[in-house]
Amino acid sequence: MGEAVFYVFIFGLITALATGLGAVPFIFLRDVSIRTVARAEAVASGLMLGASFGLIIEGTKHGAWQTLVGAAIGVLFILAGHRYLEGREVSIGDIRGRSAKQILLILGIMTVHSFSEGVAVGVSFGGGEKLAALITIAIAVHNIPEGLAISAVMRPKGASVAACAGWSIFSSLPQPLMAVPSFLFVESFRLFLPYGLGFAAGAMVFMVFLELLPEAYEKCGKTPVGLLVSLTLGAMILFQRYL
Amino acid sequence: MESALGNEAVLVVLLFSTLAAGLSGLGTAPFCCSSEVPLTWIGWAYALASGLMLGAGYILMAAALGTSTLPVVFGGVVGVVYTYWTHAYSGTQELDTGPGENPSADYAIKFILLNSLHSASEGVAIGVAMVLNLSLGIFMALALAVHNIAEAMVLTDVLRRSRMSYGEMAGMAIVTNVPQILLAIVAFAVIPAIPGSLPWAVGFAVGALVYLVMTELLPASYERAGHTSIAFVVSFSTGGVVLLKGLFV
Repeated sequence: MGEAVFYVFIFGLITALATGLGAVPFIFLRDVSIRTVARAEAVASGLMLGASFGLIIEGTKHGAWQTLVGAAIGVLFILAGHRYLEGREVSIGDIRGRSAKQILLILGIMTVHSFSEGVAVGVSFGGGEKLAALITIAIAVHNIPEGLAISAVMRPKGASVAACAGWSIFSSLPQPLMAVPSFLFVESFRLFLPYGLGFAAGAMVFMVFLELLPEAYEKCGKTPVGLLVSLTLGAMILFQRYL
Repeated sequence: MESALGNEAVLVVLLFSTLAAGLSGLGTAPFCCSSEVPLTWIGWAYALASGLMLGAGYILMAAALGTSTLPVVFGGVVGVVYTYWTHAYSGTQELDTGPGENPSADYAIKFILLNSLHSASEGVAIGVAMVLNLSLGIFMALALAVHNIAEAMVLTDVLRRSRMSYGEMAGMAIVTNVPQILLAIVAFAVIPAIPGSLPWAVGFAVGALVYLVMTELLPASYERAGHTSIAFVVSFSTGGVVLLKGLFV
C-alpha cells in the first residue's frame, strides 16, 4: 500500500514536470507565434477528448449513473473555478494590469484544472495499471502544450524562460498532491470510482469546450483546428487500445 | 443475414431515415412563431447539433471498438480526410458561417451544398448503426433527427434572407437531408455484403461526424453565443445521448 502511494505520487509528479517542457521552445525562440499556441491547444483538446472517451467507457463499466453524476460535478467544478477567477484584480511580480491578469488567469485555470487531472491520475490507478499508465502519459503529454500556452503568455510579457518553466510546473503541482488522496479514497471506497472517472472526464470535456477550443478557433481558423482535434482524438483512441 | 428479415430491416432503415430527414422541416417552426429569432438560439442550435453528433460518434465508436481497433481508427482517418477533401473541392471550406448578413445567392447555394454533404455522412452513420444493431440504428436515427431540426433552424436563418416562404424553407431543409436516406439504405445494404467492411465504415462515419463538428458546427456556435453556454449545451447533449442510449438500447 505504502509503495503504491509512492508510485501514485511519482506518476503525478511526472505529469507535473512534463508541464515545464512547454517552456523549452522558448530557449530557442524569442517568441512562439500565436498560431503555434493555437495548434498546441487544438492538440491538447484532441488528447483530452480522447482521454475522456476512455474514462467514460471505463467508468460506465463500474456504474453508468455514478459516472454521469461524477461528470456533472466535474463540469460544475471547472465552471466554479473559471467564474471565481474571472472578475478579480491581480498583479504578478513587476507585471501589472491586463498582462498580469492574463498570466494569472491562465495560471489559475491551469492550476484549478490540474486538481482534476491529479484526481484522474490517482483514480485511474483504481481502474487497473494499464489505465493508470495510459492516463498518466495522456495527461503528461497534454501538459506540455499547457506549459507552452502558459509560457507563450508569460515570455512576451517579460518573464524569463526559467520563470516560465517554474510557473508551468507550479500550475501542475496539484497533480501529485491530489493523486495520492484520490488514489487512497478510491482504494478505500471502490464504489466511488465511477464518480471519480466521470468527474475527470466531465472536467476535461468542459475545459476543452469552455477554454481551449474557442481560443484555438479564434487564433488559428476552423479548418486546421478541426483537422488537428479530429486526428489527435483518433491517435489517442489508438494509444489507449495498444498501450 | 436472413433475406426475409433483411427485407423487413431495410424497411425499418427506410422508415427511420425518412423520419429523420422529414423532421428537419420542423426547424423552420421557430421562425414562424416569432419574426426575430435571437442569435444565441441559433448558436445553441449549432451546439445542440454538435453535442448530439459527438454523442452519436461516442456510441458508434464504443460499439465498434469491442470488435476491432485499427480498421476503426484508420476508417476514422479516411472519414476526416474525405470530409476535408469534399469541403475543399466543393469550395465550402472557407464558407463564412458567422452571423453576418450575407444575402448573395451564391452563399445560400453553398450553404445548401454544405448541409447536403453533412447529411450524406450522417446517413452512413445511421446505416452503420443499423448494421451493428437495429435498435441502435433506430436510436441513432432519432438522435440525428433532433440534430436535423437544429441544423434546419440554422439553414432557415440563412435562407430567410432571400425572402423564401416558410413552406419553401421547410422543403429545402428536408431536401438537403435526402442524401441521409439514400446513404443510410446504401450503407445498410452494401456493408454486410463486403466482409470486414463494417469497422471501416463505423470509423468513417465517426471520423466524418467529429470533423464536421470540429470544423463547422462548433466554430459557428462560438460566434453566436457565450462560450460557457455553448460548453454547457455541447457537454450535456453529448452526455444526454450517451445516457439515453444506456437506458433504452
